[in-house]
Amino acid sequence: MDPIVIALARAAGLDKALADFPDDVQAAAEQALNNAGAVRVPADPTVEPWPPMRAGIGL
Amino acid sequence: MTAAHWLSATEVAHAYAAKTLSPVELVTALLARIEKLDPRLHAFIRLDADAALLAARQAEAEMAAGRGRGPLHGVPVGIKDIIDVNGLPTTAHSKILVGNIAKADAVVVQKLRQAGAIVMGKLSTHEFAIGGPSFDLPFPPARNPWNPEHHPGGSSSGSGAGLAAGFFPLALGTDTGGSVRNPASACGIVGLKPTYGLVSRRGVFPLSFTLDHVGPMTRTVADNALLLDAIAGHDPADPGSAATPSRHFGRLLDRGVRDLRVGFVRHFHERDMPAHPEVAAALEDVARVLQAEGAQVHTVTLPALTEFSGINRVILCSEAWSIHQTWLRERPGDYGKLARRRLLPGAFMTAGDYVGAQRRRGELIAAVEDRLRDYDVLLCASSMDPSSRMDDAAETARTYPRQARTPFNVTGHPALAMMSGLSHGGLPVSVQFVGRYFDDATVLRVAAAYERATAWHKKKPPIG
Repeated sequence: MDPIVIALARAAGLDKALADFPDDVQAAAEQALNNAGAVRVPADPTVEPWPPMRAGIGL
Repeated sequence: MTAAHWLSATEVAHAYAAKTLSPVELVTALLARIEKLDPRLHAFIRLDADAALLAARQAEAEMAAGRGRGPLHGVPVGIKDIIDVNGLPTTAHSKILVGNIAKADAVVVQKLRQAGAIVMGKLSTHEFAIGGPSFDLPFPPARNPWNPEHHPGGSSSGSGAGLAAGFFPLALGTDTGGSVRNPASACGIVGLKPTYGLVSRRGVFPLSFTLDHVGPMTRTVADNALLLDAIAGHDPADPGSAATPSRHFGRLLDRGVRDLRVGFVRHFHERDMPAHPEVAAALEDVARVLQAEGAQVHTVTLPALTEFSGINRVILCSEAWSIHQTWLRERPGDYGKLARRRLLPGAFMTAGDYVGAQRRRGELIAAVEDRLRDYDVLLCASSMDPSSRMDDAAETARTYPRQARTPFNVTGHPALAMMSGLSHGGLPVSVQFVGRYFDDATVLRVAAAYERATAWHKKKPPIG
C-alpha cells in the first residue's frame, strides 16, 4: 500500500481498519481522491460556502 | 373489489367511513399477508404486531365514539429503521446499534400517531442508510417484490419493498443521496424527497446533516400528499427546519398540467450517464404524455451529473465521518463491508475538500434556481437502469451510482420519483419530477396528472 495512505490512515486513527481491512482503507483513499478531484472549487475567492452562517437564526 | 392490502390510504379512509372495513380487519389482513410473504422479501426488521393490533382497536373505538382524527386515522404505516419509534430498537440495520432502544418517538412518528396512523414496525435499510444490499449484516437485505432475485433499491429498501408487496399503504423513508427515490424507482411506487427543511429530522439517525431529508413513500400520489401533510411542519429543535407554514400539499392534484412549463433535463440520461434504452424510451414517453395533457416541454441544461455527484460524495463522506469516526476507529469489523467502504473515505477528505464542495454547492444551487425561474418543474431520470440481481455484486456496484437523484440533495429542491413503465424483464422503470423550493404541491400536481394519464400505479408485482 502507498505509504502516504498508510500515514494518513494512521493519522486518522484507523490502525485497526488498516490491520484488518487494508483493501477497504486503500479503496476509501482512492475514492476520496476521485471525489474531491471532481469538485470544481470556485476560482473567485469571495464565493462563500453554502449553507451560509446566519447569526441569531436556528438556535 | 380491490383486496384490502392493495387499498390506498385514501381508499382505506373511504372504506372506514362507509363501514365496509375496520382498522382491526385491515391490520389483521395485513399481518397475515406479511406473515405469508415477508419471509421471502425481508421488508421488516421488526414487525410490531401486538402494538399494531392495539392501535387498530383504539382507532376503531375512537371512530365508533365519533372521535375521528382525519384521513390517516387507522391507516397502517411502516417506519425505516433509522427513525426512532419509542420503545423499539433503532438498529440502522447494523450490528453497531443492535440493542439501541429508542427513548422517544421521532417528531415524524409523533405527528403520525397524532394523526391516528398505526405503526406496523421497523423496516429494512441499507446499513446506516449508506451501505447497499448486503449479506454480512445482522438482518437479511430486503428484496424486490417484482422479482425477489433483484434488489429493491435503497437505502429505504424495506419501505419500497413493503409498499410494493401490499404490506402497508404508507411508509417513511429518508433521502441523503436518493434513498427515498431509489426504492420508489426500483419498486414502482411513489417517493418524494421534500424541500430541505420541510420535514423535521429530529429522532432520525443522521448520515449527512446538510443533505438528509425524511420523505413520504406511498403507492399513489394522493397518498403521498396526505402523508406529507401529516409530517411536514416547522420544528424549532431541528436546526435545518424551515420556518415555513406547512400547507395542504394535495390542493393542486386535480388541476392537470395545462400550460405548465416543464424543463426536460435530457443530458443527464443521454450524455452524462447514458441510460438503459428502456429507461430512456420511458422518459420520452413521459414527456409526450405531459405534452398531450397540455404542458409545454422544452429541453434544458444543468451542470453535469458528475459535478453534483462529486459534491454530494465529498459533503456526505465528510459529515458522515464526523458521526462515525469513533466506531470506525474502534469497531471497523462491526460494519458490513459496503458501509465500511462507503464511510471510510471521509477519513481522507481534507477540510479544504469539504469547504470547497460547499462553496461550489452554492453555484450549482444558483444554476438550478435559474432554470426554475423559467420552468415550473424539471423532468429527468431517476435510476438509469432497472434494478440488478441481488447475487450480482459487480452489476449492482456498476448500476447503483448511475442515477440523477443526488443533484437535488445538493440543492435541496423537492424531487419525486415514480413508475414510468415496466422493462421487458418485468421490473419497474421510473421518472423524476423536481420543483421549486417549498412548491412540493406543484411537483405532486404534475405527478398526479401523469399518474391519471398512465395508471402505472395500478400494476402490481406478481407475488399474489
